[in-house]
Order: sequence, then C-alpha cells, then structure tokens
Amino acid sequence: MSIGRTSNGSVLLAKRLMREKRDITENAPEGVVFSDSSDSLMRWNVDIVGASGTLYENERYTLRFKFSAAYPFEAPEVVFVGEEVPVHPHVYSNGHICLSILGDQWSPVLSVSSVCVSILSMLSSCKEKKKPPDDSAYMRYAPSTPRNTTWHFHDDDV
Amino acid sequence: MGNCLKSQGSDDISLLQGGSDGNPAHQQSRSESYSSASPMNESQDHLPFYYPPPEGSHGNQVNEENQIRIAKRIGLIQNLPTGLYDGCKKNQESVSLDSICTCIICMVEFALEDPVRYLPCMHTYHKKCIDDWLMRRLACPSCLEPVDAALLSTFDTS
Repeated sequence: MSIGRTSNGSVLLAKRLMREKRDITENAPEGVVFSDSSDSLMRWNVDIVGASGTLYENERYTLRFKFSAAYPFEAPEVVFVGEEVPVHPHVYSNGHICLSILGDQWSPVLSVSSVCVSILSMLSSCKEKKKPPDDSAYMRYAPSTPRNTTWHFHDDDV
Repeated sequence: MGNCLKSQGSDDISLLQGGSDGNPAHQQSRSESYSSASPMNESQDHLPFYYPPPEGSHGNQVNEENQIRIAKRIGLIQNLPTGLYDGCKKNQESVSLDSICTCIICMVEFALEDPVRYLPCMHTYHKKCIDDWLMRRLACPSCLEPVDAALLSTFDTS
C-alpha cells in the first residue's frame, strides 16, 4: 500500500485545484469575489465582502490562499493581505487568522469556497470590532506563515 | 473573546516525517516528485550513489516509535473494507446523489470499477485518496467520525 505522495499526488492536486477554480469562478458564494489574476495555480487571491447588516458591511478584504504539495490533505495557508485587514478578535494585524478549520480541524472536504464562507461567517458573527487580546505579543514572535503556529481555539462564538 | 496563543509541535506531521525517514524508496519518490530540498538530496551531494540506499542504512535516524505507529496505522487502514465502484447502488437512501457519486477528496466522479474504500460511517472515497488522508488523521473527512473507534470495537467482538 502506498502511504505517501507518489506522482499520483501532484496529479490529484492539479486536477482538484483546477476544478475548484472553475467552481469558484462559475459559482462563487455570496460575498466571495474571485478574479483569476494570479498566474500560479498554487497561490490565489480571493476577495470577500462583508455581509449587509453586519459590522463589516460592504468592507472588502483580500485573502491569499497558498497551497502546499500536500493539498487537499493539508490545509491551505490563508491570510489576509493588502493594505487593510479586518479588525476582528481572531485576525492578527499581520493578517494571520485564528480559525480551527485552517489548523487541526482541516478536512479535505473543505475547499476555497467553504473556507471563504467560514471566514465571512466569522466576520458576520462578530459583535465588537476589536483586535485579538494577544495581538502585540503575537506580532513580536509570529512566524512568517501561520501554518507554523499551533493555535489554541478558545471560542467559536466570535 | 478569542485568546489565540501559539505553541509548537504537531503529532500528525511528525508521524508523516517519520514515515519518509524510515522508507528510503518513499523518500526517493518524494524527492522526484517535488524537487524540494530533502534529506535524500543532501545525501546525494556527499555520496557517489544515485539509488535509494538499502533498507536499514538510515538506522541511526529512524525513530522506531514512529515506525511502529505507522505500521499500526497501515494495519488499521487495511482492515477497512474496499471494493470496486459499482454505480451508486449503495447507501442511496441516506446521502444525496451528488455526494455518493463523487469522491469529495479529489472532486472527481467515481467511474465504474474504481477501487474505493468504505468507512464505518458508510462514506465512500477513492482508495488512493482516503488512504493518504487516513495516514494523517484517522477520521472520516466528511463527518469526522473517528475510524479507529469503530475498528477497535470490531476487534473486540471477534
């Protein structure tokens, strides 16, 4: 039995990413805007727009997805990029997001679309625009990629 | 409020890394597929051979405990029933047509005679796709039902 990645792995990766790209281009969920501007299959930028009636109404932010060779068995690296990142208790000033499905709760049934919807719903359920309590401490020691941070998820309500 | 702290270390990743250290053939296939820096590439720089070293020459580096864990996990996975896809005949009542006709990991529709594996929760995936995932996490990607719990109860009654 093959336990690891063979050449089959990279074929699976490319096929799946192309399928996801097609799905999100043709069928983007509400509030998710994907414009196929990047030249790389392994790195996408996706915009999300805050839902109406929430604190982030009409605010537009950009998420950068980076896929490793192990995608979809490993979570993609997802960070907010651009001049502004949302002020939210789970979003650090460097764009890193504390969200369980991007860490140990990742499952290969999740996709770029569903991750965007989860992040939008994380924004929608926020009651007060506030930075994470340990933002300044995290910024001092934050690794370059949030994938090197093992998060402790305390609260799913916000 | 979210109090997201960071810490280091992750079990599942160390398990996989142990796997590649312990299996030279596997390592070779990885370094071929993803020409990233790997222990195999380093050793090629210093040694005059270009073929995988014989089994056991990595003895010093091998983490025996990890090898045992990998072997146990392979054993567990191999006890899960497999079959050839026979055209959506199974579990038709409970799951929507779309989700039983498509392997949700690679997002490709099942073709007749595709090798598939059935999990105890009755979710079905391509054998190649699900085996790769189960080496990382012993839970169904769709419902997160732990796979080993069901297997262990099978062993107890037999």
